[in-house]
Amino acid sequence: MPADLRRGRLTPLGWLGLVAGAIIMLAPLVWTLLLSLKNNAELVGHSEAALHGPYTFANYAAIIGNSLTLRWLLNSSIVALGTTGGVLILASLAGYGFARLDFPMRRTLFAFVLLGLAIPSQAVILPQHQLFAWLHLHNTYPGLILPGLIAPFGVFFMTTYMRGIPRELDEAAMLDGASRWTIFWKIILPLTLPAQSTLAVFTFLGSWNDYWWPLISATRSDMYTLTVGLAAAQMNYAQTSGLGYLMAQAVFASIPIFLVYIIFQKQIVRAMAGTAG
Amino acid sequence: MASLELKGVRKSFGSTAVLEDVSLTLEAREFIAFLGPSGSGKSTLLRIIAGLENADAGEVWLEGRRIDQLPPGERGVAMVFQHYALYPHMNVRENMAFGLKNARVPKAEIDRRIADAARVLEIEQLLDRKPGEMSGGQQQRVAIGRALVKEPKLFLLDEPLSNLDAALRLRTRVELAQLKQRVDAAVIMVTHDQAEAMTLADRIIVMNDRTIQQVGPPMTIYSRPANRFVAQFVGSPAMTLLAAELVPGGDCARLKIGDGTIVETAIARNRLPQDATLRLGLRPEAVRVGSRDAAATEATVELVERLGERTIVYARLSDGQAIIAEDNGDSRVKLGDKVRLIIDGAAAHVFDSQGTGYHGAVA
Amino acid sequence: MTSQRDWRGLLFVAPFLALYSVILIFPLLRGMWLSLYQVDLFGAGHFVGAGNYVRLAHDPIFGTSLLNTFEVALMIVPALTIFALLLALSLNRASGSAAIFRGIFFSSAVLSVTIVTLVWRFVLAPDAGLLGYLASALGLQPLPFLSDEHLVLPALAITTIWWSVGFPMLLFLAGLQQIPDEIYEAAALDNAGRWATFSHITVPSLRRTVVLVVMLQTAAQLQLFGQSQLLTAGGPSGASRTAVLFLFESAFGRWELGYASAAAEILFLIILAVTLTQYWATGRATAQSDAG
Repeated sequence: MPADLRRGRLTPLGWLGLVAGAIIMLAPLVWTLLLSLKNNAELVGHSEAALHGPYTFANYAAIIGNSLTLRWLLNSSIVALGTTGGVLILASLAGYGFARLDFPMRRTLFAFVLLGLAIPSQAVILPQHQLFAWLHLHNTYPGLILPGLIAPFGVFFMTTYMRGIPRELDEAAMLDGASRWTIFWKIILPLTLPAQSTLAVFTFLGSWNDYWWPLISATRSDMYTLTVGLAAAQMNYAQTSGLGYLMAQAVFASIPIFLVYIIFQKQIVRAMAGTAG
Repeated sequence: MASLELKGVRKSFGSTAVLEDVSLTLEAREFIAFLGPSGSGKSTLLRIIAGLENADAGEVWLEGRRIDQLPPGERGVAMVFQHYALYPHMNVRENMAFGLKNARVPKAEIDRRIADAARVLEIEQLLDRKPGEMSGGQQQRVAIGRALVKEPKLFLLDEPLSNLDAALRLRTRVELAQLKQRVDAAVIMVTHDQAEAMTLADRIIVMNDRTIQQVGPPMTIYSRPANRFVAQFVGSPAMTLLAAELVPGGDCARLKIGDGTIVETAIARNRLPQDATLRLGLRPEAVRVGSRDAAATEATVELVERLGERTIVYARLSDGQAIIAEDNGDSRVKLGDKVRLIIDGAAAHVFDSQGTGYHGAVA
Repeated sequence: MTSQRDWRGLLFVAPFLALYSVILIFPLLRGMWLSLYQVDLFGAGHFVGAGNYVRLAHDPIFGTSLLNTFEVALMIVPALTIFALLLALSLNRASGSAAIFRGIFFSSAVLSVTIVTLVWRFVLAPDAGLLGYLASALGLQPLPFLSDEHLVLPALAITTIWWSVGFPMLLFLAGLQQIPDEIYEAAALDNAGRWATFSHITVPSLRRTVVLVVMLQTAAQLQLFGQSQLLTAGGPSGASRTAVLFLFESAFGRWELGYASAAAEILFLIILAVTLTQYWATGRATAQSDAG
């Protein structure tokens, strides 16, 4: 009985609402998918042609054959993976420092990092653009990766998680003659694997989907990430290859993300559980 | 040569003083218990010896070498933590090998030591398991094994029995006693349980309120407590303390308690200070529920605890003071009974207004 | 821990701090400095003090963009919170169907803004879009979502709600799962009915999560950019231009970096003020309810 109270039995109206909602969620995606499977010519002026066959994979074949889209895919992969790796390394190192080591100004510096959580991106993006121009980092991979590395959330997240590891383990390791670095590398870090995977998934998703920074930093079309490239294609739609192809690009761009989502669902849900409490 | 020496150790956390001027000496292969309630400073002292805290003042020497400036790993000290602190992601073998690897002990030697320790502690079948896959008792043996393989000069045990249930506790007590025989090192155990200290230690260091109250073998602590705190902390049930007055006459002190009973102690009169406020200390075994001798002290029974081999009787004297007495296991005493108590004066203790204890000459 | 105030600890935090200071803090300060200058593409500008800010105050385009931003945030945040909460309440169970539904409602959240706007452009467009087709199939006039100045902001709102409902839903689910079973059991023993349980146990326990969601979403939606740029390019005639789009156009369209920086600072202050107000207001409310 108590279990029922908690879960709340759904009235038929409730079920109806859920199903309606689910249809609203899925319909646009299905529509896109259907459009992508149609020959472009058929769709001109009659996009409802998507609702019935014949269907074709021609658009996808064109994408695979289009070196630019593949290049965008490569760029997105390099940038997202580079950002993820970099964040994990920097945030773990800094997290260990803040969580376990006592150095002068530790609290001040941590507050300094937390302050960054309150800074919205548009307050810094223009000067960042200027800075990277001076450093000649636009249209380079480091230029696309570096801004993603400084997210204070990663440090905050790892610090909090590491604080939760019992200090007795550090003490036992100290008595075992381990240096600070050894404790970090062999004791603490292996114990943070759940946090690492959660942070990795979030960083990867955020980096892959980032629109703002790659938009203004990558001005050469061969340095676009998939997200930016898709926007450019969208804006050029009228002059380009057609609706079906455009939709196929959208589907193509979502496949990697959906794969990551499906594989790492657990991490995502677990991270949300941590934030809510 | 003393194995461990502490000289004038002082420690405060912020403005709270935790240890004040602690000095002590341990002999080789001694098993010492730091006994005291929480907040007495005993755990802090242990951590200072281990190197996990730094004292504000004082020195720590181990086998002739000053260690208080050295990092924990270089002191030749091994510790078994209260919650074991086993590395959760490593199996037992790796847990035990970790410290030796950091000390660059050769692999063959590491394997030999682990095999020996595993055999002694009967954990050979656990070597490939992780801590999460073992019971509390098994984890503790692994924690002990991790300390053993380091072949330290000093073992530190932090509340080793507190986490165990009653049955396991007794078994582990026996194992620790056996361990004591095997190792060629001194052992310091921190505990708040006086029974643990009494059964395992060669000497007990009783601590309270940031200082050492008394140091001595268990039976001395028990039968000749240096002050009120020690007297009431050690021994279960606790010693009864009754307000008493010195009565003139005799070589040995005679004290009168509230209801008029006069107790003849075995303490020389001239040893006692002449102040009026004295307290008479009586352990339950010195107060027997007695025969129908009309001269014996009368008391009303308030609570009876039947333990099987003896019965503890909580009673109240005619002047209102509480007293704890013992009777045989098959005693028929019950709540509300009026009983007559026989007080063994020779076993009585006297405490003055400072709390200092006085006891009869050793029998 | 051995409390040697060790400089060596700094080595661990130094790499992050170095990058952080250079790439975040320095630009933050420089942005404030830039806002006091008139700078264009071709080099060092000249100091104009509060000139940019004065110009912004009189700039009707900026003013409209701010209004649009507030309007669209107001359309999005309450509806989003309520939908997410309803979803979480309905789907807080262990069944397989619930898991599938949760997956469906979260799936949109992993997409990038460019994919979302691309998908919805061809849902909303009256001629080529899904809604347009459905409307005409039902014999109705398709609504010109993207070209009617009164419909444009709602269109952005609908797109954004569709996109963003997943995260808050998960946050609420997590919050619901943290309510210990024992409280529900105690309520059952106290004979509480379904509604009483809901209003006296579930809702108060979720209060913190609701506050968190509202604060995070408000801050996020005040920065709405991609949908505005890609779906409607801020049109028609600026009816859907948000503040960040204004910023973007000033900086990278007209290369007026100083002016855009001033706009950025103003937006930053607005977001800060709104967030702090929400924090303060709800802090007091929660304190009162905690005390009561």
